[in-house]
Amino acid sequence: MNERDRQTIIFRFVVTLLVIVAINFLLPRMMPGDPFSTMASDIQGEDVIVMTEAQREYYFHYYGLDLPLHEQFVSYLANLARGDLGQSIQYKMPVVGVILLHLPWTLLIVLSATAISTVTGVVLGVISAWNRNKGSDRLMMTGLIAFAEIPSFLLGLILLLIFSVHLRLFPLAGAVTPFAQYAGVLDLVRDVAYHAFLPVLTLSLAQLTGVYLLTRNTLITVSTKDYIRTARAKGLGDRIVWTRHALRNALLPVVTRTGFVVGMLMGGAVLVESVFNYPGIGLTLRNAVVARDYPLIQGILLIVAVSILLCNLIADRIYQKLDPRVA
Amino acid sequence: MFIEQISVIQAIRMAPHLQNAADRLTATISKFSLEGKIGLCGIALIVMMAIFAPLLSAYPPGKITGGSLELPGSDHPLGTDELGMDIWSQICYGARMSLFIGLAVACIAGLGGGALGILAGYLGGVADQLVMRTVDVIMALPAFPLLIVISAFMGPNIFNVIFVLVLFSWAKPARIARAQTLTIKGNAYITAAKNYGATPFYLVRRHILPEVLPILFVLIIGITSYAIMAETGLAFLGLGDPTAKSWGMMLHYATSFRSIYFTPYWQWWLIPPLVALIVLLLCLAFVGRDLERVLDPRMRQNRGA
Repeated sequence: MNERDRQTIIFRFVVTLLVIVAINFLLPRMMPGDPFSTMASDIQGEDVIVMTEAQREYYFHYYGLDLPLHEQFVSYLANLARGDLGQSIQYKMPVVGVILLHLPWTLLIVLSATAISTVTGVVLGVISAWNRNKGSDRLMMTGLIAFAEIPSFLLGLILLLIFSVHLRLFPLAGAVTPFAQYAGVLDLVRDVAYHAFLPVLTLSLAQLTGVYLLTRNTLITVSTKDYIRTARAKGLGDRIVWTRHALRNALLPVVTRTGFVVGMLMGGAVLVESVFNYPGIGLTLRNAVVARDYPLIQGILLIVAVSILLCNLIADRIYQKLDPRVA
Repeated sequence: MFIEQISVIQAIRMAPHLQNAADRLTATISKFSLEGKIGLCGIALIVMMAIFAPLLSAYPPGKITGGSLELPGSDHPLGTDELGMDIWSQICYGARMSLFIGLAVACIAGLGGGALGILAGYLGGVADQLVMRTVDVIMALPAFPLLIVISAFMGPNIFNVIFVLVLFSWAKPARIARAQTLTIKGNAYITAAKNYGATPFYLVRRHILPEVLPILFVLIIGITSYAIMAETGLAFLGLGDPTAKSWGMMLHYATSFRSIYFTPYWQWWLIPPLVALIVLLLCLAFVGRDLERVLDPRMRQNRGA
């Protein structure tokens, strides 16, 4: 990778980021209705209190929504540069605060799911490649590929119906037991794990097949390479050839993919969190759309979009570092 | 009389072509794996269900025809929802909505994107740069969060949902069609044809389209299932068209019912649309994979392993 390619990547990153910021800014302002029509009500749209025209104007002025569009955009960019994402209309507190309140839950399930799906996917891929074209390999291929076609939130719904509704093994909603008194840190960890189990399982299953197929196929491709034959000709045992020669090289694309997996899971988490009523930023985004909380929608979109872009960028960089042929 | 004769002659003249197409179709299908055949049967069944919805169901889907939340019984094969509407009719008519949205998005995005890609690849220069940079940006954008916000802003209307989904799915066919066009354009036989005075239109029709169309067709199947998936997701979040009840909207209404999980209602309200969606998506995936294998052997070789 030479200097020019690196510049292209960074240039593309910046352009994409600008497009997102622009969409982010423009779209909520074009949405039908305005935040003040539901401002006094709760999320479900009950108890609507009608405002007088004077009150509406006051709030429009207060939040700067009566300024011309370009002035709003400039002040938006300036605030963005300061890390200020505005005031959430629905929560009546800074957007950054609302996001920081919910982001940890999303990160918790997304990162655990990434780790679990990557490790399991690699292990299954190695087993499958080892038994290439035997019954177990074919069975695993067909099963996992069919599995991957089910969208994650439908899968989540099935898991919810089986384990939470029918068997009553797991909770239906939330990230911790409400009003719980914890005996210690261990108790808290157990409660969090208990609530996160099904969402994490759903997200892991959604990404498992990709990692599995990648590991299996790269391993099989690598195992036909000349240097593997050389290693065998040197008299090295199967185990050393597989772990030191084949797997090390086959894992390169898997590492790169992990970055993309995090990005995809961040996007997929919106629906999965809604299925499990898990209080991450996905569920917050859904509620914000319902309540037309412009600043909050903007903030969440920006955070999700930037983290996806950053994950992809980092994945590219890691690949360059690991593979001397690319660097 | 005369007109009839002409149409008969035309029919006879067309017969070999039709025969040919039918032969090709059976040849393609005969190369399908067992999964692919199952998928094809499944899709055929769901399409029939969508077409003959009025015959298959006793009630219109949006009409209150029974008590609230009735158990499945002889009157209502799958029971009723909280408003007393028949769930089996909703499933039958919902197949129409889900299939329509999926196919509409796939055809517009697949053919439109493909056309743009061919154009970009054929013309090159500024047009190519313009299309490809747009494709780059669209492919880098995080689709689902943006889908949510854009459809929220556009309002819940079936055509808006289709528009938004097209906006995010034309990039892939465009990129692939362009790459194919570039490869074909580099061949010596194209230069030869050009030297013989072939017009661009002729080149595209005779040389480029036959190579690109099978690939586009495989992509269209993929986009169909993506669109159905995304529409279900949007509808599930409450961003679908409330007047056009797709299977995703059924999921939304069922899961929005406050005590759905504490009552036995989910067994006949939530499970039917869930199963229907999963069956449809699995069948589409099976058929898509087999078509890819049969129509485009090059793709299989490029996959490695």
